Amino acid sequence: MTTTTGGEGEGELHASLPRSPTSCEKLEKQLEDFRNHLKDSGSLRQRIRGVATEIESTTGLIHSSLLLVHQTSFPIAEVLVKEKGQINVLRELFSRLSEIIGEFPGQYYRYHGDWRSETQTVVSLLAFMHWLEMGTLLLHAEAEEKLGLNSVEFGLDVEDYLIGICFMSNELPRYVVNQVTAGDYDCPCKVLKFLTDLHASFRMLNLRNDFLRKKFDGMKYKGGGSLL
Amino acid sequence: MFQSSSTFHKLSRILMAPKPQRRRHFVGSSLDSGVKRARTISILTSSDAATGGDSESSSSSLMKEAFSQYAQYLNDLNDKRERVVKASRDITMNSKKVIFQVHRLNKYNKGEVLEKAEKDLAAVREQHILRLVQELQGTDFWKLRRAYSPGVQEYVEAATLCNFCKGGTLLNLDEINATLLPLNDPSFEPLQINVLDYLLGLADLTGELMRLAIGRISDGELELAEKICKFVREIYRMLTVIAPEMDDSSDMKTKMDTMLQSVMKIENACFSVHVRGSEYVPLLGSADPSYSLLGVSDFDQ
Repeated sequence: MTTTTGGEGEGELHASLPRSPTSCEKLEKQLEDFRNHLKDSGSLRQRIRGVATEIESTTGLIHSSLLLVHQTSFPIAEVLVKEKGQINVLRELFSRLSEIIGEFPGQYYRYHGDWRSETQTVVSLLAFMHWLEMGTLLLHAEAEEKLGLNSVEFGLDVEDYLIGICFMSNELPRYVVNQVTAGDYDCPCKVLKFLTDLHASFRMLNLRNDFLRKKFDGMKYKGGGSLL
Repeated sequence: MFQSSSTFHKLSRILMAPKPQRRRHFVGSSLDSGVKRARTISILTSSDAATGGDSESSSSSLMKEAFSQYAQYLNDLNDKRERVVKASRDITMNSKKVIFQVHRLNKYNKGEVLEKAEKDLAAVREQHILRLVQELQGTDFWKLRRAYSPGVQEYVEAATLCNFCKGGTLLNLDEINATLLPLNDPSFEPLQINVLDYLLGLADLTGELMRLAIGRISDGELELAEKICKFVREIYRMLTVIAPEMDDSSDMKTKMDTMLQSVMKIENACFSVHVRGSEYVPLLGSADPSYSLLGVSDFDQ
């Protein structure tokens, strides 16, 4: 191989060709630059993944205690109060994420994939809690507010929000079944009204054939199917 | 990110800001008071919905209102993505034409062929890459990367191929990006090709160089073929170091495999000519080049 860098031998070898030794140095320099750039990018991703893993384990905790609402002997109010503390943990984690991304302006979407699915789960849990408490849909602005985010620096991606809402609506049929078993016969009507409104709202969106579309189609069958 | 609703956000942020702090004080209190307070707030956030007295209907109209904003956001985003994809396709198509133009080169027409190729390349920049500049401002540059990446890679391939044929050197990322600067309207941020697309484009370049090398050998330009061989080896070596560090390296891995194939095809062709040089000589300048002598039976053109 004649690919060694610099040196006199290199110069002689290339003597007959138009290529000059400087072009070789240029290549090495560029190689070095790229490596540094990609290394920085890689370590940044590791930091992001670290936070995302913490978000994931926090949502795991929230989800497991939210499942208590299916055991209807458990007062919902008590479950929800406990979860409020966990939301503060999430806020803290998202502010760390925001700080990390803040160091690299404009590159939010370069690393978006590394915290996307965790964020969607967060939205679905927040929305479910919100619905249990208020009976209404957690809006995008309210979800950002709860997580201490703002669209100027580090926002909640609208598609992530919508996917999270789809996930949340899948939890409702199971809740209805268990509520009725426990003797709450108003619950199905309430949920049906809510899901019908939500479904109508989703139909206002012009979706592409992507992930969100799939989730939305799933909502029709899971949510609507078991109720209608 | 969600520009159309910024006033709505501000309003809701002002109205809702004290909520989390106050909630902490009320942790022990009954849930009912929390519900009532929050419900009044949520009505206040929408001036239209406040007129409806019934909380049920106002919550569903709030939902509708919010979703019409999301619908607007998605429509705008999809339209933009569509425009970017179209621009990317045009860049690909016209860059391919430049590459074909370069393949028409031989030792007699070099200057003329490359001059036309460079002119066409400039036209790609001015007519099509220009369209990307205004679409990819701010966070959209990374958000829509998948929509424009194929076109940009093809452009990198065409530009580096042209440059190699002209001067025998690799066109740097900085040099390519410098040629994109004049496209700028001063009111826009400059569009600069990112490292990933540059490297992916470079990986494709070796395939084109392989075609060029085989073609040149059949025309008897052995020296040029050997030069290409050296150059391609260096690119392969450079990418071997970098490929594992790339963001999503799966795409790059398949390209690395293809690249090694190309490098070996050139090497084998050079080898065959070297070893069987005497058998090969009568073919020089022949109008009907026979590839079977080159030992590249699996060469597909």
